[in-house]
Amino acid sequence: MGLTKPNLAVSIAGLTMKNPVTVASGTFGFGREMAEFYDLSRLGAVTVKGTSLEPWAGNDYPRTVETPSGMLNAIGLQNGGLTDFLEDKLPFLRQFDTPVIVNVVGHSLEEYVQVAAALDKADGVSALELNISCPNVKAGCLAFGSTPEGAAQVVSAVRTLTRLPLITKLSPNVGNIVEIAHAAAEAGSDALSLINTLLGTAIDPWRRKFRLANVTGGLSGPAVKPVALRMVYEVARNVQVPIIGMGGIMTGIDAVEFMLAGATAVAVGTASFVNPMAALDVIHGIEKYLASMGIGDVNEIIGAVGK
Amino acid sequence: MPGVYDCEIIEHSAVGENVRRTVLHCPEIASTARAGQFANVAVAHGTDPLLRRPFSVHATYPSDGLFSFLYVMVGRGTALLSKMEIGQSVNVVGPLGRGFDLGDDPDAKHFVVAGGCGAAPLHFLCEAICEKWGCSGVSVLSGAQSRDAVLCETEFLSHGVDVGISTDDGSYGYHGFVTALLREKLAAQADCRRIRVYSCGPHAMMREVAGISREFGVASCQVSLENNMACGIGVCMGCVQKIRGAAAGDTSESEWHFERVCRDGPVFDAEDIVWD
Repeated sequence: MGLTKPNLAVSIAGLTMKNPVTVASGTFGFGREMAEFYDLSRLGAVTVKGTSLEPWAGNDYPRTVETPSGMLNAIGLQNGGLTDFLEDKLPFLRQFDTPVIVNVVGHSLEEYVQVAAALDKADGVSALELNISCPNVKAGCLAFGSTPEGAAQVVSAVRTLTRLPLITKLSPNVGNIVEIAHAAAEAGSDALSLINTLLGTAIDPWRRKFRLANVTGGLSGPAVKPVALRMVYEVARNVQVPIIGMGGIMTGIDAVEFMLAGATAVAVGTASFVNPMAALDVIHGIEKYLASMGIGDVNEIIGAVGK
Repeated sequence: MPGVYDCEIIEHSAVGENVRRTVLHCPEIASTARAGQFANVAVAHGTDPLLRRPFSVHATYPSDGLFSFLYVMVGRGTALLSKMEIGQSVNVVGPLGRGFDLGDDPDAKHFVVAGGCGAAPLHFLCEAICEKWGCSGVSVLSGAQSRDAVLCETEFLSHGVDVGISTDDGSYGYHGFVTALLREKLAAQADCRRIRVYSCGPHAMMREVAGISREFGVASCQVSLENNMACGIGVCMGCVQKIRGAAAGDTSESEWHFERVCRDGPVFDAEDIVWD
């Protein structure tokens, strides 16, 4: 075993991360609450909740329900809107020494464009993550992410107005995720995030009612990991842009599996609900894995899975 | 500030039918928790059940570094916690949420209205009010379905406060809902403007407490809400409640917005709530 610590730094779409671990949008708020638990500078990057042009109220409740080794959510992207982000959320995040990735959502192409244009000029935004995959919002969003044409349309529109690294977050609720990934990359997306949640539902048999007010919601947590891992592997093999892999990562070993499948970085999501310290535990776990395997650089494991 | 702690289980005890009290060792939570706050407990080690379970703080013993939960066995989470062994360690995130506001009027009268297991956090509240303002102006009204389900009566009495018990079936104390008892008590007051009402219990009961409080023009009515929580720390936006008016920073004319029960509550001013 080497005396020096393994290198954990990775580079994704021109963004340098001190370690390959960020957090999944929507599982970390805008960082304020999590900063009560640890110094956000320890993360490879912070990815904030979806930000829309105007404030979004979100869906009616109940919004979450626990399922075996997972949970369904139908939050509906409740957020305070662009102005609130720029005036309240972003100044708070600037104090940390870590890139800030802003997840962008919209009901229409025009809304994506306006939010992205404003963020392009904002001090402290390191990259944009286009959310074209939220299953819980009626208009826009997934409508773009469910066809290659739709994905290309949003990505090209935003690409022309920003030089910030552009990441596109893809939905697993599609026939062929590789086609969509291709289209997004061709249109100028520098990187891809996958996967968003899997569409599902839950029923209360005694009350004979759906458990979510929205009827359907997005499944996340350890239950979705095998699906996410397969999709990351397929996209990594076929599309030449770096991937931020996510879906049920609870431990450093889970993260390593995503990187072996081809992800350059990973995002910790639902695990932060279970344990506020989860993202730090994942970083530590990756480091321990590398040390125990005698690997000096985390970049060596990216896509290094064999049959 | 909340923290993540491994807490040793010091004691489990049965308190009446289907009710358990669990005492944990955690000096940080014991010394910083405020009445109305809760803690989020990892009741399992694996991934099923995945999420933590929120429990309101029932009592703290700061000098011994201990605090307790009092809970009715209602599902998997409570069953799992009650089966953990004494001496075993359980992972707890806390203290969480916004607790009760005890006001700044030294001459206020305090009415603490509990429904069923809503008595659990109100025992802690009662102690806090007594500590801050003294016990003479405190009345506890605690309702249950029947005599067997009455919670915390001796604990409330031990503070030396006025205690009124109601049972739905009339098997003990006042025969009827605790809300009817509250109405009688308030009606007997010459002036309600310096009365502070605090409540925890079933949703419909708290809505009624809020209505009665408004009717009598009390100084303040606070209720402690419950909702499905995923994270308990304010990041998932799952456990929301409709609150009157537009959100802070929202310049629209919106009549309501959603706030998080886990972070902006669980205690809310009853007047702010859009009752279902």
